[in-house]
Amino acid sequence: MSHSENVLIIGAGLAGMTAGLELAHAGKKVHLVERLPLIGGKVIKDEESFPNLECSTCMVAPVQQDVLQNPNIVTMTYSSVEKIEGEAGAFHVTIKKNARYVSMTDCIGCGMCYEPCPVSQKNEWEENLGDVKAIYVPCAGALPNVPVIDAQICLKLTGKEECSACADSCMFGAIKLDDTDEMVEIDVGAIVIATGAGNYDASKLPQLGYGKLPGVYTPFEFERLFASNGPTLGELTLRDSEKNPEKVVILHCVGREEVGYCSSVCCMYSMKFAHFIKKKLPDAKIFNIYSDVCVVDKNYQKFFKKVEGADTKMLFSPTIDGVKVSGNGSGMKVSYRGGDGADESLDADMVILATAVVPDPEVGTLAEMVGLELDRHGFFAVKDDVAGSVETTREGLFVAGTAEGPKDVQTAVIQAEAVVGRVMSYLGKVTG
Amino acid sequence: MKAKVGVYVCECGPNISEKVDIDKILETLPGLEEYREIELVVKRFGLLCSGDGKTFLEDEINNNGLTHLVLGACSPRDHDKTFIGVCKKTSLNPFLYKIINIREHCAWIISDKDKATEKAITYIRAGINRVLFQSALLEKKLDINPDVLIIGGGIAGMEAALSLAARDRTVYLVEKDDHLGGKAVLLGGLLPRQGGGPAKIREKIESVLGNDMIKVYLESELEGVIGFLGNFEVIVGSPGDEEKKDLKVGAIIVATGSGLADPAILEGLDYSKTDEVITSMDAERMFSKEGKISLKSGGDPKSVALIHCVGREEKGYCSRICCNYMIKIAGYLKDQSADMKVTEFHRGLCLPDKADQGFQKEAEGRGVEFKRVRELTITGTNVRYEGMDGKSEGLKFDMVILAPALEPSEGTEGMADLLGVPLSESGYYQEIHQTTNPVATSIEGVFVVGAAHSPKGITDSMLFAQASAGKILSQLIPGGKITPEIKVSEILEAYCTGCGNCLDVCVYGAIYYDEGRGISVVNEAVCRGCGNCFGSCPSGALRTKHFTNTQLYEEMREAIR
Amino acid sequence: MQEKMENQELDQFKPKIVGFLCNWCTYAAADLAGSSKMEIDPALTVIRVMCSSRVDHNLVLTTFFSGADGVLIAGCHPGDCHYGAGNYYARRRYALLKKVMESLGLESERLKLSWISAAEGNRYAEVVNSFSEKIRQLGPNPINKMSGL
Ligand SMILES: Cc1cc2nc3c(=O)[nH]c(=O)nc-3n(C[C@H](O)[C@H](O)[C@H](O)COP(=O)(O)OP(=O)(O)OC[C@H]3O[C@@H](n4cnc5c(N)ncnc54)[C@H](O)[C@@H]3O)c2cc1C
Ligand SMILES: Cc1cc2nc3c(=O)[nH]c(=O)nc-3n(C[C@H](O)[C@H](O)[C@H](O)COP(=O)(O)OP(=O)(O)OC[C@H]3O[C@@H](n4cnc5c(N)ncnc54)[C@H](O)[C@@H]3O)c2cc1C
Ligand code: SF4
Ligand code: SF4
Ligand code: SF4
Ligand code: SF4
Ligand code: FES
Repeated sequence: MSHSENVLIIGAGLAGMTAGLELAHAGKKVHLVERLPLIGGKVIKDEESFPNLECSTCMVAPVQQDVLQNPNIVTMTYSSVEKIEGEAGAFHVTIKKNARYVSMTDCIGCGMCYEPCPVSQKNEWEENLGDVKAIYVPCAGALPNVPVIDAQICLKLTGKEECSACADSCMFGAIKLDDTDEMVEIDVGAIVIATGAGNYDASKLPQLGYGKLPGVYTPFEFERLFASNGPTLGELTLRDSEKNPEKVVILHCVGREEVGYCSSVCCMYSMKFAHFIKKKLPDAKIFNIYSDVCVVDKNYQKFFKKVEGADTKMLFSPTIDGVKVSGNGSGMKVSYRGGDGADESLDADMVILATAVVPDPEVGTLAEMVGLELDRHGFFAVKDDVAGSVETTREGLFVAGTAEGPKDVQTAVIQAEAVVGRVMSYLGKVTG
Repeated sequence: MKAKVGVYVCECGPNISEKVDIDKILETLPGLEEYREIELVVKRFGLLCSGDGKTFLEDEINNNGLTHLVLGACSPRDHDKTFIGVCKKTSLNPFLYKIINIREHCAWIISDKDKATEKAITYIRAGINRVLFQSALLEKKLDINPDVLIIGGGIAGMEAALSLAARDRTVYLVEKDDHLGGKAVLLGGLLPRQGGGPAKIREKIESVLGNDMIKVYLESELEGVIGFLGNFEVIVGSPGDEEKKDLKVGAIIVATGSGLADPAILEGLDYSKTDEVITSMDAERMFSKEGKISLKSGGDPKSVALIHCVGREEKGYCSRICCNYMIKIAGYLKDQSADMKVTEFHRGLCLPDKADQGFQKEAEGRGVEFKRVRELTITGTNVRYEGMDGKSEGLKFDMVILAPALEPSEGTEGMADLLGVPLSESGYYQEIHQTTNPVATSIEGVFVVGAAHSPKGITDSMLFAQASAGKILSQLIPGGKITPEIKVSEILEAYCTGCGNCLDVCVYGAIYYDEGRGISVVNEAVCRGCGNCFGSCPSGALRTKHFTNTQLYEEMREAIR
Repeated sequence: MQEKMENQELDQFKPKIVGFLCNWCTYAAADLAGSSKMEIDPALTVIRVMCSSRVDHNLVLTTFFSGADGVLIAGCHPGDCHYGAGNYYARRRYALLKKVMESLGLESERLKLSWISAAEGNRYAEVVNSFSEKIRQLGPNPINKMSGL
């Protein structure tokens, strides 16, 4: 098999998009595969990013547009890598493009088709806080701005009813209810894994009440609740009522002991949340319960100090392990151990759990397919840390972003750019 | 020649056609008084962005010999690039075309059809008026030099050099010391997750010295720099040496590392030279040279206090690496004598890598004590502290090791000045974008990596270095060209008084003062066209291409007619 | 009698507002408001500039002298400017402009500066609608009255 100068990137978060754009800039042909119908990754779920509280959409949308409009990048959304054969320098890759039922070329993103669709479900991308129809885009402003039909609930596609309401409403003939999955085969010289990470499942810690007490939130639930393009248009209302929270407890390091590492971003996003709430609800009382503080960049501590005291009261607890959240009438009670070892408690109507960053739930399948080892935490292992952490244990395969371990956007982007350097030298070496 | 303007209104399926009376637009426009002097071609089309639409436009431009093109359609954010592409296939300069957003800004936000139509007409008239005053602009291509200058030969500088040399770039590595390796080569050991230890660093030095593509200048410094991405000219010299080297490079990487804060900045610290108090770097040096850590007075310490975060509050940031290397130093001590009492006084542990917490737990397992404190005073080797429970206690140790905060290395201000890169509040270089573009600076082609960027350990320093190499390798291709922004600002010589106001506002350092002519000049290869300088000029000498006063005034006048 | 006429005039008053929006944030917000089909007052016409810092004194004053009843300058939130600090300059110029306007006998409320990010489609709609309402209350640009327009 002859060597290829093309590159496959799996995952279109900021890490994958950055690597893609820079490789494309260097004249490489890039295949960017994303399993979701939209690109952008986790960052586009955040209204604002720490430390500068910059609007994430403003920050990421130009990158997304550049990716979609770059002639050297073939973006395949709603797709998955199915098979990788061959060897470094000459991989043969099979990609499955799931039936989207909407033509990427014909659809202009007008959104006329959602309204007529008779079925709806919880919007998973919005952390189930809002509803979407069977034909939907995950959020306003999603890119590419082309809907997808969920074949699991669509009346027509499940065979329940002869519906074609969406297709009838589309003036562009963009809806193809007879669409089928498509297999694409490509040859690439190098592969970049930028599949991101997930968050620790808070319901594994029943004492924290997640899933049972409606006032308990995961971090991304909160991000979407706060987002102005989110299900409440940024209105901070509690899940089970239309009321604004009055007493909020933000609990740091949830799951840290269980996973065995510090996730390095939770302190910062927890402080960000406190600041968000104070900005929208100046009368709310906010408490952050923490044990360690990890604010590692030259600008992070400054942000921390700004929020500490002004927006929230920091409560030290030697261990987060002992914290309990229980129902208390219509509200909740949070019990924890104080700095002096005595038991303390707080009333709250909203509790946000800063859950640890953990490997993506589907990482095992991917690792097996690409033939890569995972480290003991389940992230992609890198060859040798002193040599810089972007080369995996298999030649020709590179990793960037939170797929390698928890990190902030800056470090994810740095790894992506480092991958570009490595891939460029590597392709130079193998193709001569 | 009489202008011939093509105006095409996109139906966008029902999106525009149902909300806006397109026929009314087509009827109204040609009759307008203001268009007596020009020729107008007005038409509607189903979907301009479709394949058919693009062909249609291409034919229209060619067949009608259009001098200007105006499209009443959707947002330029969606399809500006699409239609620029169409223009490029024809002889029409893309800067003589304009897309008018009558979908997002009329059809979709005004439910009353008459009002929406009226508004669309206003927008299109404003657009036509603007386009008539637009000028054809030509894309420029500049040759580039793919070679790179790296300032600082620590681990970051060396890593960047090796990454670039691997892709056949000539690298000039300038180090002010008489050896390569920076701080890393001075250390007694590395973290366990960094397998290999100091020997690895020495290997790196050997590979750099043995690489033909890397020209190392020891005991040298950067003395002058002019130019821009792809075309820098730099002067490198050594103090005391008359002879200077003039080098031409395409990019510059700053890898000047960091210094260590003077422990004296920590309040509540009181010790003299003879006390058994040393810094972490002293400890590393001692361990590196002698394989153990001894008291100044000779002999092994039986108890050692390791003090984290010295100067953290004063500096305003966490140095990221200290918690980790202090645990490593505790390891040296425990290796030396398993019974040694080793106590780490910290203010919350910072263990940001996925392997770090395990490392800390292991140290705890070996009997290293971790004490979290609120307040701390040190008198000689006496440590008095207030714990998180509010109780105070005093302990006496044989030896105290301080972890001073990392700080920007000496000479950072001068270097920043020379390069035109601003410094952030923390005193470190300011990157162009903290999250999405962290190694680049506001001076295109100048990158900052390693501990010079912000406090960081070796692994991150190397990653930043590789990142800068990645950016350079993708931006500067040998034999390739760069296409700078076209919509740039320019200064009209006749009006400029040379006051220099504009120099101060340009974030990118795109404007320089031409002594000879006594005026300011915009370097078009550097300018990004934001237009900020425009508002700063009291003499009306500035012009921002494609956003000139005339263009905006004409658009505005129609908008409120 | 005269009062009545003025009221009538006011009823028919269709304000003309120019919105200078920065390309990177507020223009994107306007697009989002559009694709979310929000109802927005037609009084405002958008003019796209690359950065809020491009909107200098002359442009604003000329816009008023040409008869605009209101001018909105909107860009990225402080710290978010695509060009680093353009919006800080915009803010400084805005503060000065307000003074200049007062000295010219133009109500300074006719000029508004707003930071609207790309995700804030709803905020864009709110700002435009409330500003249009405000201008409606203020009535026509006095310059128009003077010149008998
Ligand atoms: C609650 C929270 C708030 C945060 N806030 C901030 C902040 O304010 N500032 C900051 O700097 N950092 C923040 N972070 C960290 C930030 O989210 C990450 O650094 C960043 O998202 C990493 O980007 P990435 O590209 O590596 O991964 P992601 O953004 O997760 O992107 C990975 C992409 O890969 C796709 N993918 C996954 N598996 C596959 C597969 N098998 N095939 C194809 N595609 C796949 C995913 O769908 C996703 O689109 C926060 C983290 C959390 C948890
Ligand atoms: C006590 C201690 C222990 C540490 N232990 C570890 C550890 O175990 N693991 C780890 O990962 N990190 C550790 N670190 C951090 C590590 O030392 C730094 O991350 C690393 O040295 C940064 O590399 P650098 O190349 O960016 O900077 P430096 O190592 O500081 O190198 C910068 C180089 O630039 C040169 N230079 C400076 N100014 C100029 C100029 N104007 N012109 C030319 N040359 C110039 C300097 O002479 C120097 O050679 C430790 C730090 C300390 C203080
Ligand atoms: S499928 Fe049709 S109706 Fe739906 S968004 Fe696309 S073009 Fe509009
Ligand atoms: S076919 Fe019917 S149920 Fe299925 S997506 Fe279209 S409108 Fe919804
Ligand atoms: S337009 Fe902006 S980038 Fe260009 S010279 Fe003026 S201030 Fe600098
Ligand atoms: S502000 Fe105007 S007059 Fe002054 S130096 Fe710049 S261009 Fe010349
Ligand atoms: S780019 Fe939006 S204000 Fe400068």
